[in-house]
Amino acid sequence: MTNFLQQVVSGLASGGIYGSLALAIVIIHRSTGVINFAQGEMATLSAFVCWTLLDHGWSFWPAFAVTLVLSFAGGVAIQQVLIRPLQGSPLLGIVILTIGLLIAINGLTTWIWGGAAKQFAGPFSTSPINVDGVAFSKQDIGVIAVSVVVVVLVGLLFTRTKAGLGLRAAAVNPVEARLVGVRVAAMLAVGWGLAAALGAVAGVMAAPSLFLEPNMMQTVLLYSFAAAVLGGMDSPVGAVVGGLLLGVLLNLTGTYVHWIGGELRLATALAVILGVLLVRPAGLFGRTAVRRV
Amino acid sequence: MRMKLIGLGLAVVVLALLPVPLSEFRTVQLATVGAYFIAILGVDVLTGHSGQISLGHGAFIAVGAYTTAILMANHGVQDYWTIPIAAGVAGGVGLVAGVPALRLSGLYLALATFGIAIAFPTILKKFDHFTGGSTGITLFGKPTQTGHGAGVLGLTNNEWLYALTWTVAVVCFLIVWWLVESRFGRSLRAVRDSELAAAASGINRSAYKVAAFGISAAFAGVAGALLAINIAYVSPDTFPIQLSLFLLVGAVVGFFGSIWGAVLGALLIQFLPDIVGLIPHVNTKQAGPTTFFYGLVLVVLMLALPLVLRAGAAIANRGYSRAQ
Amino acid sequence: MTRNLCALVVAALALAGVATATTTGTPGVSSSTITIGSSGPLTGEAAAAAGVLKGADAYFKYVNSRGGVNGRKIEFKYLDDAYDPAQTVQNVRELIQQDNVFALFSVVGTNSNLAIRDFVNAAGVPQVFSAAGATTFGRDYAKYPWTIGYLPPYAEEGALYAKQILATSAKTAKIAVLYQSDDYGKDLLSGFRRGLGSKARSLIVQTVGYDPTTSDVQSQVAQLKASGANTLMIFAFGKFAIQSFVYANKLGWKPQIYVNDVASASSIMALDPAKTAEGSISILWGKDPATPKFKGDAGVALAGKIIKRYVPGGNPSDGFLVAGMAEAFSFVDALKAAGKNLTRKGLMTAVTHMNESSNPFLIPGVKVHTTPTFRYPISAVQLQRWHQGHWVPFGGVVSTKP
Repeated sequence: MTNFLQQVVSGLASGGIYGSLALAIVIIHRSTGVINFAQGEMATLSAFVCWTLLDHGWSFWPAFAVTLVLSFAGGVAIQQVLIRPLQGSPLLGIVILTIGLLIAINGLTTWIWGGAAKQFAGPFSTSPINVDGVAFSKQDIGVIAVSVVVVVLVGLLFTRTKAGLGLRAAAVNPVEARLVGVRVAAMLAVGWGLAAALGAVAGVMAAPSLFLEPNMMQTVLLYSFAAAVLGGMDSPVGAVVGGLLLGVLLNLTGTYVHWIGGELRLATALAVILGVLLVRPAGLFGRTAVRRV
Repeated sequence: MRMKLIGLGLAVVVLALLPVPLSEFRTVQLATVGAYFIAILGVDVLTGHSGQISLGHGAFIAVGAYTTAILMANHGVQDYWTIPIAAGVAGGVGLVAGVPALRLSGLYLALATFGIAIAFPTILKKFDHFTGGSTGITLFGKPTQTGHGAGVLGLTNNEWLYALTWTVAVVCFLIVWWLVESRFGRSLRAVRDSELAAAASGINRSAYKVAAFGISAAFAGVAGALLAINIAYVSPDTFPIQLSLFLLVGAVVGFFGSIWGAVLGALLIQFLPDIVGLIPHVNTKQAGPTTFFYGLVLVVLMLALPLVLRAGAAIANRGYSRAQ
Repeated sequence: MTRNLCALVVAALALAGVATATTTGTPGVSSSTITIGSSGPLTGEAAAAAGVLKGADAYFKYVNSRGGVNGRKIEFKYLDDAYDPAQTVQNVRELIQQDNVFALFSVVGTNSNLAIRDFVNAAGVPQVFSAAGATTFGRDYAKYPWTIGYLPPYAEEGALYAKQILATSAKTAKIAVLYQSDDYGKDLLSGFRRGLGSKARSLIVQTVGYDPTTSDVQSQVAQLKASGANTLMIFAFGKFAIQSFVYANKLGWKPQIYVNDVASASSIMALDPAKTAEGSISILWGKDPATPKFKGDAGVALAGKIIKRYVPGGNPSDGFLVAGMAEAFSFVDALKAAGKNLTRKGLMTAVTHMNESSNPFLIPGVKVHTTPTFRYPISAVQLQRWHQGHWVPFGGVVSTKP
């Protein structure tokens, strides 16, 4: 039983990371209909930026704040320079472009920072807290808390602010949104910036426990896709819940299904993606079904 | 048509004479290019002509490569005879994969196949009694290797590999050419361009899309078989997600749907590292710069492609109005 | 049409077969240079091991600056394979067929060396001092006369930890094993099991594998902790080893940890922010510059000087760099012994008649000794314990002869 609870707790901690990245993926998907395959690499790049600041003697929170601002700017820049010119062309073209971005950013981080893993001192202590035999650290709690806080903030942004309303309007019906005075182009750029900043949160949360290297988020990206699909591709809450659920699911199947063990975690995530897409394309929280052809 | 045939004839002559001035190593590199070429032809059929995307073609290549490796190592099948079998096995897997693919729109098909490409190597490792696990399977010196790695028919081993690969590649090219020019190809494109119109004209859309998946996977299987024969070794790490993504780069470079452009894409996959190495002050000992440029090529092409297509259309229109 | 084309192809190919030039003399050896090649993971999850190649390269440059070997300068060309053995095969082809290397030196990784072994033996190219510890590289010389490893065999290393446990805590040990589920991890595990002998069944309470493409081993460590073990064997690589330390700490688990040689370089251990590694046990055979005991040691000082001069941005306390220098030192010794009239056969004779006790990069008591029928250059090691951020050797030098 202790082992079971232990696996659930550490699954939630991993799941917080998957959920944060999934949130970034969902934000872009629901505002532009694009799946950004470069989201994981963008997050890694952000984490490297943060690491560089820390390496220059910055303390964590200022470095984190600057990283978020830079990531937001980077996301806006990517949208303006690379995505906007393709507006109106087939979505698949944009998706392939994001794959190009995935490859390019991965190459860039390897080029600049090298391939070896780096230690990343996070903001939370890793000293253990023991509750009835189940151990966890402030780092675990911190990661889960950050992902929940972020999704609440995003929710408030979308529902309680004018900018959020504009973002949603631009996503749902760009033509009418423009008619009522929403600056659709700006909104789309803000959506990319927001997603990049959320990705930065995921990257910086992941780095202390996964150790920072260029491929850090490559497998996490697949887990995050699975989380986003599981939660419903257009539901921010679904993304985070999906992430937490997936983290727990992967740990439990890895521990108790002997045949899966530690080696088939990726395949399990793949099975989740395929299963949800084929059986319940809307996921757990999605409102609209994935379009079938 | 006649021009194209002459072009093809010239291409074959060039291909046949190419190894003469080249070193052994360049020859075997060009053999690898041949295998990529075949795989890209497959991606072209699927994405260019039937409008379905696959980021998981590396998995089909792996199926082909492992079919060849297991047959050669454990069942005494001569290397070149494993090629059609690999095509069949990979094609079969492709048909099976094509059925659920029908239910996914482009975006989600990309996502699902991306997942397959990432997870497939770990699955290969899991079935290690069958695949040799992470150690892989060595084929060099096996009795089923033609010439046992020492050459055959007066050719050195590398020349033989080159000849085998490009002979198969030319055959594959002719098959694809015939496919896309045929009624099948027209129907495929009709399904791609307008599902509704295709349905109205009595085309069984599902059958065509699934068939495209199977055919495309069969080509990937052939490519995998040839890669296994060329390298004389397979392991799960040989088929990382990068392979699938590079194939996509190759296919885009060759312009979706243009089977003639596929050779350009294949050359790029193989020789980009050498090209990047020509840039001063860039250290290609690290994979970083090369990877960066693969990505950059794809990004730039995707940005330029609409322009190119628009320019092409404009030129075509002008020609049309002049003719009037 | 097609038939004509086929005929054309065949004809042209027959033509092509005629025109292949042959070279005379020993490939890769000119009057002033010796070209050797290698391949290793300069990128990817095993990139830390690339230090071996960089260290060797630096040592060769140092030797060149002092006049080279028998009047020839060593040119060392190493390529990136990202730990993909098929890429190693292609790299090695390029090195042999394009660059005409004299020999392959210190190719990194068990699977990579296995993948190229048949090819290089058929080609008659020396595959010397491979940076891999599978027993087969020393044992199967009858079938693979051109291949020889360098590191102490992983299986013997595993057996050594078993001996240590049996000697110190046979009564109380409950052992959990985390291993990389490939040849490398499984070799260590099987040697460890063999070393425990009949006790293996009762002492080992849990073994869990991980795939090196995964992102972390958090779940695996939690599972091992839940087994109630008080001893943790880490047969892992690079970041996964450090993750294990960190996760064990996060879980409040304080087992006696054993960590295998390749994963235990000080530069990797220093990544552990939580100091959970305190008291861990590993082995050493090369001098670890970060070990206080070797402060002021001539070999370590030389290594530091070479790193500073020839490895830009290199970490002077990186044990992989020094391991690479140790290999390079032995290689240079072999080249000297092979004489002015250098041939591939001559090199193989030299590397199988090693009797080198002067290697400044190896710990005292470890000698490089080989005969044509005993091909384990390093066959002795010493245990070491992690204490206050450093490795501290303890006990005497012990044999790892299979």
